[in-house]
Amino acid sequence: MIEIQGLRKSFGSNEVLKGIDATIQKGEVVAVIGPSGSGKSTFLRCLNRLEEPTGGTIRFKDNDVTSAQRELNVIRQKMGMVFQHFNLFPHMSVMENLTITPRKVKGVSKEEAEKIALELLRTVGLEEKRDVRPDSLSGGQKQRIAIARALAMQPEVMLFDEPTSALDPEMVGEVLDVMKRLAQNGMTMVIVTHEMGFAREVADRLIFMDGGYIVEEGNPREVLSNPQHARTKEFLSKVL
Amino acid sequence: MNLDFSFFGEYSSYFLDGAWMTLKLSVFGVLFGTLFGILFALMRLSRIWIVKFIASAYIEIIRGTPMLVQILIIHYGLTNFGINLPAFMSGVVALTINSAAYMAEVFRAGIQAIDKGQTEAARSLGMSRGMAMRLIVLPQAFRNMLPAIGNELIVIIKDSSLVSVIGIAELLYNSRAVQSVTYLPMEPLLVAAAVYFVMTFTLSQLLNLLERRLGKR
Repeated sequence: MIEIQGLRKSFGSNEVLKGIDATIQKGEVVAVIGPSGSGKSTFLRCLNRLEEPTGGTIRFKDNDVTSAQRELNVIRQKMGMVFQHFNLFPHMSVMENLTITPRKVKGVSKEEAEKIALELLRTVGLEEKRDVRPDSLSGGQKQRIAIARALAMQPEVMLFDEPTSALDPEMVGEVLDVMKRLAQNGMTMVIVTHEMGFAREVADRLIFMDGGYIVEEGNPREVLSNPQHARTKEFLSKVL
Repeated sequence: MNLDFSFFGEYSSYFLDGAWMTLKLSVFGVLFGTLFGILFALMRLSRIWIVKFIASAYIEIIRGTPMLVQILIIHYGLTNFGINLPAFMSGVVALTINSAAYMAEVFRAGIQAIDKGQTEAARSLGMSRGMAMRLIVLPQAFRNMLPAIGNELIVIIKDSSLVSVIGIAELLYNSRAVQSVTYLPMEPLLVAAAVYFVMTFTLSQLLNLLERRLGKR
């Protein structure tokens, strides 16, 4: 579904991605781990071009993401994204957060958008929050709303950029639960995460990045319990 | 101290007409100033260097030169190039180009103060750059900018008194007319000052109210 070839990204003279090749299959859940500064978030943000790659190509289905101009907005509609800091729209109610883009971008009617939104709120267990503003929600609730907001565009793949890193420990579980259910329902997901337990349990494939390269990838259980590369071993010995 | 306001009954229409003219100048100045201010702010945030340069140069030049000089250039100087604006028009143009420069800075600061994550979230959902600006960034920025905008509106009302030099019969001009027919040096100016104060104070109270309203939501 997503094909990445020779992806490079530099910030000024600092090369963060030094040639990444990867393929994400439809329905696959891929967890990306690695030390901070390894380029994993930049990699994810290049997939929908929130970061502009400096080299290489990204194909999403039949589209060339890297060269897309006007089609980029259409491509992005199909690639939902969840951020570390939620980035909910604070000047709108929860319901408006979920309906504004379907209505304004896809031209969905208000009734239809609200119907879809309500269903999603039910899925993430926050139906009763439909009319409140985001600032009255807890971190875990905010992130569940953010997931619902991305899903409201009915994307074909979901990108998660450290979705639980900004949460208090007791709220991590509720967000991971929502993500796990999403995975079970067959959503294609790319997740940059520090939650090794979650990666082991939910991901189909684990990618370990370090220094702008993919160092190792494979079945999460195998990589986590029997890493092949020295750098993977070193990283895992610190976090596990 | 001996003040005599007995002239007021006879000349009240001068002050009323003047205040009305001041109000008209200010409203037009604010309206166009805001529109062009947003435009220049967006230009200044543009990624195209020439667009950015034009906006920056405009803002620096207008802010760095006295408004009185600008008024005289627009009304008298431009006649040199065959541009002969009626006084009211010259006044509105001068107020507009001035408030646009100051408003642009207010808007730019307001837009830049909004967390980048807001734009990223909007873009990641598939909104265009303009849509993200209009639906997500500007409404939030506007709320933060309200005090600064209020300041600017008050400045425009006060600065509109400068256009009296090109013979627009606004509040100050008419007050000076009353001064000269009554031979009273102080009282007409005090009335003018009081009327200016009523206008600016009313405005600042309205803005406080609006701020509280928006804050509550």
